[in-house]
Amino acid sequence: MFNSEQFIEETTKKLRQEIKGKTLIAFSGGVDSTVCASLVNKAIGNNLIAVNVDTGYMRKNEPASIKKLMEDMKLNYRFIDASDIFFKALKGVFDPEEKRKIIGEKFIRIFENVAKDEKIEYLVQGTIAPDWIESGDEFRDTIKSHHNVGGLPEDMTLKLIEPLRDLYKDEVRKLARTLNLIVSEKQPFPGPGLAIRILGEATKERTEIVREACNIVEKEIENAAKNNEMDLPWQYFAVLLPTKSVGVQGDKRAYGFVIAIRAVQSIDAMTCAFSKIPPEIIEKISNKITNNLGNKINRVVYDITNKPPGTVEWE
Amino acid sequence: MIKIFVIDNGGQWTHREWRTLKYLDIETKIIPNTTPVKEILNEKVNGLVLSGGSPRIGLEGNLGNCAELLDKAEIPIIGICAGHQFIARHYGGKVEPSIIPEFGKVELIIIKNDMLFCDVPEKTIIWGSHNDEVTKIPNHFIHLAKSGNCEFQIIKHNDKPLYGLQFHPEVEHTEYGIQFFKNFIKLCESN
Repeated sequence: MFNSEQFIEETTKKLRQEIKGKTLIAFSGGVDSTVCASLVNKAIGNNLIAVNVDTGYMRKNEPASIKKLMEDMKLNYRFIDASDIFFKALKGVFDPEEKRKIIGEKFIRIFENVAKDEKIEYLVQGTIAPDWIESGDEFRDTIKSHHNVGGLPEDMTLKLIEPLRDLYKDEVRKLARTLNLIVSEKQPFPGPGLAIRILGEATKERTEIVREACNIVEKEIENAAKNNEMDLPWQYFAVLLPTKSVGVQGDKRAYGFVIAIRAVQSIDAMTCAFSKIPPEIIEKISNKITNNLGNKINRVVYDITNKPPGTVEWE
Repeated sequence: MIKIFVIDNGGQWTHREWRTLKYLDIETKIIPNTTPVKEILNEKVNGLVLSGGSPRIGLEGNLGNCAELLDKAEIPIIGICAGHQFIARHYGGKVEPSIIPEFGKVELIIIKNDMLFCDVPEKTIIWGSHNDEVTKIPNHFIHLAKSGNCEFQIIKHNDKPLYGLQFHPEVEHTEYGIQFFKNFIKLCESN
């Protein structure tokens, strides 16, 4: 079994020996990077600078809540709004791997700038096992390039420190609980954010649509779970399929995009089963999406693919 | 303490095999399949897992030093997915592209009793992920289990503790995955 107390003790000791001077951490406010920040903070205190980047592809109200989290954790932090940089970089980009690599590179360039200003040579990342496994290496096929591994530019100069490399999400959650972090049960959200929940080009306008749809899926499922109508899935969200289908809305022909709802059960993201959501709840979500996003979305589908053969996110 | 190493052939779930063994208090590590066989055997391991592999290597790839390992190691070995396919090929069996590949949930049917199935029911849910499969087992091998679309899900050498599993006991969604490992560990202990 996994012993979180022992892991915390050994890791902070190792970090104290490994890190000389100041270090940055790529902080997203998710379970992995928050646990990492807490461990490194234990080891080197204020010499840790947490950097959060608003890519523009964040979920509803997310930047504000991450800021609050960094404040509550008393982290020495920098918040960088880089949404323009990301939207511009992804203009006209359709290929999922290209999208992931561009995002990975932009992140690093931003971190390098901060590091240069503050004379820092280390970058801590909350990389966990599935990130490097799925990114591929000389042995393994690339399933998808996780932005923090396969998306790193070759010429990066920051020295990487990844204390959670051999862990899976369930183990990181155990650490988060031991460390009393409020994010311990938070659902995973990929670094490239909503950019990979829009198939093809991730424009600003499409981001608004999928942001709203994700918010509806999250709210409805969390409510249903709170009312004991279903178990909370491991991950649950919406994907925008920019392909059009015919509908009828208010006696009028509609011709809009499709939203796919995705919800899966897993413990480690290496295999996943699609969640068996009660039909009444799916119906509620579907109604809300087509009502709130009426002129853009006139069809909602539910993804019934396991992993394998699917992956959790669509890109 | 029992020591079982995982030979990495590049599978997506190699690290899961390592984690499963670790959780069962086994001394374990992942080693690349290019590691010299002498080096591995010098470590006095009690058993080996030959992991699954990157795409299609079970069909025709060499899997590093796995052939030499199979010839020289006199300890229990379990081959998973590409590892299983390689074992079959090494001993003279045949591996071909599956007519119907299996991805995800599959029902396993045990057809012959064995120590590996201690506390595992006759029919269980397993998860697979393969494009190729064993289509002819070598002489001196026994056929232990099958599924609807894959005849040779589990095979075993007649007189050696050498197993091949087409599916993945190391993933969360395989119902009795941990039990398969426990039974394999028992084999390693008694060898």
